Amino acid sequence: MSRSPFNLRLPLCQLAAGATGRICEITGDESFAQRLREMGFGEAALVTKISGTTTSLCHVNGTRLALNHDAAKSVLVELLPLGAR
Amino acid sequence: MTLPPHISLPGKKRVAGPDRSPVYAMVGNPNCGKTTLFNALTGLRQKVGNYPGVTIEKKIGEAFSQHGRPMKVIDLPGAYSLAARSPDEAVLRDVLLGRRTDTPQPDRIICVVDASNLERNLYLAHQILDLGRPVIVVLNMMDVAHAAGHRIDPKKLEESLGVPVIPCEAIRGKGLVELRLAMSRAELPLARHRWDVPAPIAPAVADLQASLVQNDNRPPLVARAEALLLLTDFDTVRVAGSTPLSDRTHEILAHWRQRWEGEGTDWSATLIRSRYDAINRLCADVIRRTGAQGPSLSDRIDAALVHSLWGWLFFGAVMATLFFSIFTLAEYPMNWIDAHMAALSSWVKGAMSAGDLRDLLTDGVIAGVGGIVVFLPQILILFFFVGLLESTGYMARAAFLMDRPMSKVGLHGKSFIPLLGSYACAIPGIMATRTIENAKDRLVTILVAPLMSCSARLPVYLLMIATLLPSTAVPTTTKAAIMLLMYALGTLGAFGFAWLFKRTLFQSAPPLMIMELPPYQRPHLREILRQMIERGWLFLKNAGTIILGISIVLWFLTAYPKNPDPAATPDAKIAYSLAGRAGKILEPAIKPLGFDWRIGIGLVTSFAAREVFVSSTAVVFNVQHFAGGKRAEVTPLRAALRAATWPDGAALFTPLVCFTLMVYYVFAMQCMSTVAIVKRETNSWRWPLFQIAYMTGTAWILCFILYQTGRALGF
Repeated sequence: MSRSPFNLRLPLCQLAAGATGRICEITGDESFAQRLREMGFGEAALVTKISGTTTSLCHVNGTRLALNHDAAKSVLVELLPLGAR
Repeated sequence: MTLPPHISLPGKKRVAGPDRSPVYAMVGNPNCGKTTLFNALTGLRQKVGNYPGVTIEKKIGEAFSQHGRPMKVIDLPGAYSLAARSPDEAVLRDVLLGRRTDTPQPDRIICVVDASNLERNLYLAHQILDLGRPVIVVLNMMDVAHAAGHRIDPKKLEESLGVPVIPCEAIRGKGLVELRLAMSRAELPLARHRWDVPAPIAPAVADLQASLVQNDNRPPLVARAEALLLLTDFDTVRVAGSTPLSDRTHEILAHWRQRWEGEGTDWSATLIRSRYDAINRLCADVIRRTGAQGPSLSDRIDAALVHSLWGWLFFGAVMATLFFSIFTLAEYPMNWIDAHMAALSSWVKGAMSAGDLRDLLTDGVIAGVGGIVVFLPQILILFFFVGLLESTGYMARAAFLMDRPMSKVGLHGKSFIPLLGSYACAIPGIMATRTIENAKDRLVTILVAPLMSCSARLPVYLLMIATLLPSTAVPTTTKAAIMLLMYALGTLGAFGFAWLFKRTLFQSAPPLMIMELPPYQRPHLREILRQMIERGWLFLKNAGTIILGISIVLWFLTAYPKNPDPAATPDAKIAYSLAGRAGKILEPAIKPLGFDWRIGIGLVTSFAAREVFVSSTAVVFNVQHFAGGKRAEVTPLRAALRAATWPDGAALFTPLVCFTLMVYYVFAMQCMSTVAIVKRETNSWRWPLFQIAYMTGTAWILCFILYQTGRALGF
């Protein structure tokens, strides 16, 4: 996936509360990555962090999903400017 | 009902013959309202929950068509995808693919989708439509979608998919008539072609499909769907009862995997993406979104309830209320039941002439079953709370909050719910582990769940605290503190062993969790009560069958063989009986813990259920007092225990022994029903036996250290 040099890429667990990012890569366990994609948490989906650093609470596609720390670490997102959603 | 013009009937029709009622399978994502719809359709008693995946057992109900003909409906577990990741989802997949021998392959499928989250819900629906069976799509929660600003056009969706689409609000019973009408149709159309498999993957799908038709006897359409599934699933999650695939199909699968891995193609991601692309195109056509949406009510509630401070305070308050209710509110009905059991027992004693039959009824049946039934109020209260937490959607939040502490011992938030349930009884707790996807995490949770102090230990703690501390001199807070200490010990033990197991026996990568937090809902009291009664009834049925049987056997063991000397004291009679002999055989093993053979009888009988300890010590110790011949003077059990001595005259129940005995009950595995349920859930005798060994072993070692150190220190 192409990315602009200005856009910061960071794991979901480090995304600040209230910030929105675009998922660019899911690393780690293959079958878990698949489940994330099947739940609409796949590459190119927009994710808004609601809260949490250890356990992340996010908004994707109108649903609230909780990911534990190891799961959130495996999702790389591209930070979008505020109001991008 | 006539067919809408856009729905064309395929050449091959699936007609439900007049001789046999059609079998419907009900499928959908967790939290889509599937179970509510199932209840509304069939009226069958069944559980409704908000926590993902509560509906686990295979539930079959009967509905009636417009013409009064019966139709079977199977309620299948909620799932996000046919590519199974948990035992629940594997059951769903296997039933739909006709891989299970114990369930007929459904003729027709009712696919329930949550209209407020159409894209994600259509993913499963899309896979279901691939199966080539007649499908009815139910657009549930239309009101929620409307409130969120989604205007969905069911007619357009129907045109695009080619199958009947019924808008519905199951909770209010809206759309049920239309659904029943659609179900009553003799013929249902098959879905039209909706998406193309991405070109690089198509040859593999064709290959696998051909092999499934040839080597696994699948009909061509099912074979295609299964081939697609194998490419995202690899058939990893297998459950007992499903037929394995042929070797040839496995070979072909391995061949394609190898080839793609060499090329660096991420075929599974490609497949999922292309399916979502098709769904997004479809949704763009049928959904109109009105205006920008601010944070929903659920978002605003969550801002407080999963907050790092307020969230924990609220959680603490919920837990405190739960325990307060279980231990104080339940007392009134429990006393009432106790009193009535005692009255019944003395009535039987008065009405019947003395003899074995009377003793069997009073000491065996009434004492045994009564001892269990008395816990019904606590169990009902716990189930009420669990139902309330699930029905409002808070349970998932509690699991979310607990994820952090649980991660310290290598588990994740989903393991919290089974452990919470185990405070009442390990059985529902262990059954609740079925939503944990990772097999190792699930097993660890099952292994440690019985360490949480269940309500059956409560009477033992209460008796020991009462014996330990003279009632008037000691403030109630001290007693409560000892009680709390026991609960804390059990909880710490559970976490400690989870930590240990995750580092030794069940080493695995750190657990990964994704969990949906459903929108908050007003609790449906009727559903909660229905669930409470259903579970309470199951508990009573258990008490009326298994525990009744055990009580009779136990009575027999304490009564036979009869002491040949008719003038023998009751004490001597017990010592002569099989139970007495067993206790004596056991004595050398438990003497280092400060227990004698009479306590040994209590420990053995506790295998029926822990609270039986109280009734069996009542039999063993109270009767000694009668030996003096003063029948009218029945010493309360507590006083009898305080008076009990070793043969050399030393007091038996010293404070140290009381304390040691409580610690023994915290850790020892002494519940046959739990052993049976662990056997069923793990499908082997290995784990329940391991559980008995490690728990009872720990109990013995800890008590040995405690008692011997205590003795050395002069207690």
